[in-house]
Amino acid sequence: MAKYVLKRVLMAVLTLLIVTCLTFLLMNAIPGNPWLSEKTPTQATIDALNEKYGLDKPVIVQLGLYLEDLLHGDFGVSIKMQKDRPVLDIITSMFPVSATIGVIAILWAILVGVPLGCLAAYKRGTWVDSLLRVICTIGISMPGFVVATILLYLLAGGIPDWKIFPTIFVGTWQSYILPCAALGFYPMCYLSRQTRTAMLDSINQEYIKTARAKGLKNRKIVFKHALRNALIPVITYLGPQIAFTLCGGFVVETVFSIPGLGRYFVQSIQNRDYPLIMGTTIFLAAFIIVMNLLVDLLYKLVDPRINLSKGGN
Amino acid sequence: MEEKQKTGKLLEVKDLHVSFFTPAGEVKAVGGISYDLNYDEVMGIVGESGSGKSVEAYSIIGLLQSPGKVVGGSITLEGEDVLAKSKSEMIELRGNKVAMIFQNPMTCLNPVYTIGNQLIEALKAHDKQVSKEEAAKRAMEMLELVGINNVEKRMKQYPHELSGGMRQRVMIAMGLICHPQLLIADEPTTALDVTIQAQILELMKELQKKTHMGIIFITHNLGVVAEICDKVSVMYAGKMVEQGPVDDIFYKPGHPYTMGLLRSMPRVDAESYERLIPIEGTPVDMLNPPEGCPFAPRCEYAMKICLQKMPPYVELGDNHRAACWLRVQDQLNQQKQDKTADTSKEVSDHE
Amino acid sequence: MAEKKRTKVLGSLQPDVEDILDWNNLPESAFEPASTQEKESFIQDRKSVSYWKDAWRRLRHNKVAMVAMVIVILIALFAFVGPFLVPYGYDEQIRGANNLHPWHYTLEDQARINAYMEEHNNVSNLTPDEAVEQAKAEAAARGETLSRVEEAKIRANAKSSQGSGNTKVTEADAIAALGISAKPFGYSSDELQRMANGESVFPHVFGCDTHGRDIMVRTMIGARVSMIVGICCALIVLVIGAIYGSISGYCGGKVDAVMQRIVEIIYTIPEVLIILLLGATLKPIFEEFQNSGDGPLQQLVTVLGPNLIAIFIAFGLLYWVTMSRIIRGQILQLKQQEYVTAARALGAKGGRIIKRHLLPNCVGQIVTTTFLQIPSAIFTESFLSFLGMGVSAPMTSLGSMCSDALSGLTSYPYRLFIPAAILSVMILCLNLFGDGLRDALDPRLKK
Repeated sequence: MAKYVLKRVLMAVLTLLIVTCLTFLLMNAIPGNPWLSEKTPTQATIDALNEKYGLDKPVIVQLGLYLEDLLHGDFGVSIKMQKDRPVLDIITSMFPVSATIGVIAILWAILVGVPLGCLAAYKRGTWVDSLLRVICTIGISMPGFVVATILLYLLAGGIPDWKIFPTIFVGTWQSYILPCAALGFYPMCYLSRQTRTAMLDSINQEYIKTARAKGLKNRKIVFKHALRNALIPVITYLGPQIAFTLCGGFVVETVFSIPGLGRYFVQSIQNRDYPLIMGTTIFLAAFIIVMNLLVDLLYKLVDPRINLSKGGN
Repeated sequence: MEEKQKTGKLLEVKDLHVSFFTPAGEVKAVGGISYDLNYDEVMGIVGESGSGKSVEAYSIIGLLQSPGKVVGGSITLEGEDVLAKSKSEMIELRGNKVAMIFQNPMTCLNPVYTIGNQLIEALKAHDKQVSKEEAAKRAMEMLELVGINNVEKRMKQYPHELSGGMRQRVMIAMGLICHPQLLIADEPTTALDVTIQAQILELMKELQKKTHMGIIFITHNLGVVAEICDKVSVMYAGKMVEQGPVDDIFYKPGHPYTMGLLRSMPRVDAESYERLIPIEGTPVDMLNPPEGCPFAPRCEYAMKICLQKMPPYVELGDNHRAACWLRVQDQLNQQKQDKTADTSKEVSDHE
Repeated sequence: MAEKKRTKVLGSLQPDVEDILDWNNLPESAFEPASTQEKESFIQDRKSVSYWKDAWRRLRHNKVAMVAMVIVILIALFAFVGPFLVPYGYDEQIRGANNLHPWHYTLEDQARINAYMEEHNNVSNLTPDEAVEQAKAEAAARGETLSRVEEAKIRANAKSSQGSGNTKVTEADAIAALGISAKPFGYSSDELQRMANGESVFPHVFGCDTHGRDIMVRTMIGARVSMIVGICCALIVLVIGAIYGSISGYCGGKVDAVMQRIVEIIYTIPEVLIILLLGATLKPIFEEFQNSGDGPLQQLVTVLGPNLIAIFIAFGLLYWVTMSRIIRGQILQLKQQEYVTAARALGAKGGRIIKRHLLPNCVGQIVTTTFLQIPSAIFTESFLSFLGMGVSAPMTSLGSMCSDALSGLTSYPYRLFIPAAILSVMILCLNLFGDGLRDALDPRLKK
């Protein structure tokens, strides 16, 4: 087990390192510099600014310095959006909102999607199954902003009589409902579809035949024998879905004007605030990678077939 | 294990027809087979893959999956019509009166539950009153009976922690835990290696002696049949081509297919460096089965009539019958001889 | 032949009793040995339905998939043929057609409305959207753009000032009071005038946007961009995935192990993040490249637009992983199959096995995966465009149209919902058709 965890952790660190370097190099490949869009600074000013922010050294040195700073928890300072404010400070002040919405969204997606998938598999071939399939297929075909804008229009002002929720994010619990609903809709439909497939797959396994031959009741076969096995592959879909939901948050935050990290990230890209872009990317990537790691370990724990003492696979 | 010794007919299958209704058409997987099985008797069903042997067994226990359907015939178990039973009655029957064990012990045990859990569950499905401790005790007894040691530990283990042979033992224990009258073993040794095979066969023979249940043993391995069975049915393309006591089948086979099977079986006592002779060709397409004997295209003795008409069963001995025109021909020839003999006898009587 | 004991009693389990009586009537010739030809002709080889024919048959019977296919074809016609039928360009700003609704009032009705409004309402008052537009125009004149926060502020201001002017009678009030009903399609007053003069004018079916650009043409172009992006990305994914997967599968051993580690790492990289990043960073790089000369490559970049190329690159870098895994799996299976065949020492049959069993299995999965990449790529592209990182203006895509329309959602909801609906229907139908394709091509379901 320890060996396996170690291997996974190393892998995650490596991935994070690659993402960091990639981000850094991409940022440096951009022609021009962040000062250009300001009121045409003189060459001397540019040089001074470059020196101040360490942009005058070779790329590789800059990368090394940046990595070293990262290890000390120093993400640099914003050079444009909120001048000289530490990036980490910005992230920690903005991430909680994004995280709250993301966590609620993924939670309701799991709590609703997985049971719906089971229900569809249990009632396969009936109208319940067909209805759920239609809803879920539509759900995975609608980009996040479409769901978000439909909700925004219907329930937050577009139709005056139906205005239940605030149009602009004010931080009350009411203003969380629509973003979370919009954000969780896609993963809910996706998980429901995957659960159904996994359940049907599991139902076709031989051990289900054994269970039937034992004379177990149909309900017990489905909910004891098929479900437990079906949930194992469903867990593997969770990791990517968490990442997807977190990034889907960018759109939802934009639509609902939520002052979260996602929207800020998008704005920082538009404004070419390098340290902010890098810091946010690395932070979000780290978050996603850690989540993936946890899901991966959870998966190994749930499946007794994995011989943990021997290190996995 | 106190089992009242019962005698007589346990299972009677009459003219069973099973079809699969696929989008491409009806596949007659089983086209009219009949046999009966007594208590304390082991019957082997032999045939190559796709000959309908498993389908036939599944229909006894009510495990046929859509699009499979029993379309004709009857199955009578201890005097009760199995096909007339409701769904819940079938659930009650399965595992209780009839148990089934499957080919691949690797995939037949649920990987995420412990052995003990799965054994106890089988018992509890039919005996609601039994307490947890009692159930666990009986499960452990059962495991000991099938020759597993260290049962307390085994009960807590997951299937993947056991070897193939061990798992098949667990499967057998699970099948027998409710003391069924009939055990259907669907190729229980095929997935195991040879030494384990022998052990499992030995175990099954032993258990059968103890419990006096009837066993239907499905296999494609004639060697296994010789080991354990009292009588044998040979199936080909959904039809029963030959049926009889095990000795008759081995020493006096009546159907060319049985002969082919025997010839393709490796023998330890082979005198020379005989080559195994495979049966040429592939089985017929079950979607459009031709008129006539399905084996005819692969049969070295095929006659014109074989291609036109399905042969009838010809009685070849006590409970030994085969469906082959060759045997009909034999019989006709015999009749002719008898007739000439009779006439000559009559003539001589007159004199 | 072994000797047989003859018994007079016939089988008690006889299924074909009536036949027995006929035995004696059988002609002698019936017992002659059958010839090989006779035996062969006996097996009526089932009309061997080719794999594709069979798949097509199953696909045709799948009503949902067929309807989806028809809708996809209709959308494709809309996207590729449509722009040639509509006499407006996607970036053509039609004078006097700013903020045109997809409905119009006849000239007479308009005169009545204006008269009514003037009568009841002398104060000129701006609706929030008008205020925003005005502010935007002013900002544009200064060479700046408004951030969403500023927009929201202006809107709030306008709203409150609107409330204070309590004698206000809006156009909507006037219309309601006069009982005028709108006619379908949008026309600017200029165009209505021309029509009154007997000219025929092509209607703005979906209205026009803030800059007076015809929304229908823009939707067509947007859908076209989406489809092109989807197909190109699917092809890129197929090519890269196939190459990587087959190399990994064929080489096996250490090469395979290393390549699979790389795949694992790419698998855990948060794709959307990297795509956003690539979109943001590649854009200026390509813009510079574009301005660096006039060669064919630069032309290509101009035609595609830097952002589109960035999307392609991102897809090429990240999304091939699944495809490569599938193809590697198939190659491994192929290797194994060859081994089995060789072991059987039936060399002639190997080709047949590959042709009849393996290839269908493989091709089906690859076709399905490739096809399902299309909706997934469209999905991602719309996401990027919505965040303002898609195709560059004046070129448009469905996602950026939605993004542009977001600020005027309350007043002009159709500007967002028309492209959103087309986008969603397109992805939905592609998904449904892809599912149908998978069901049709998956030989595992074949009985």
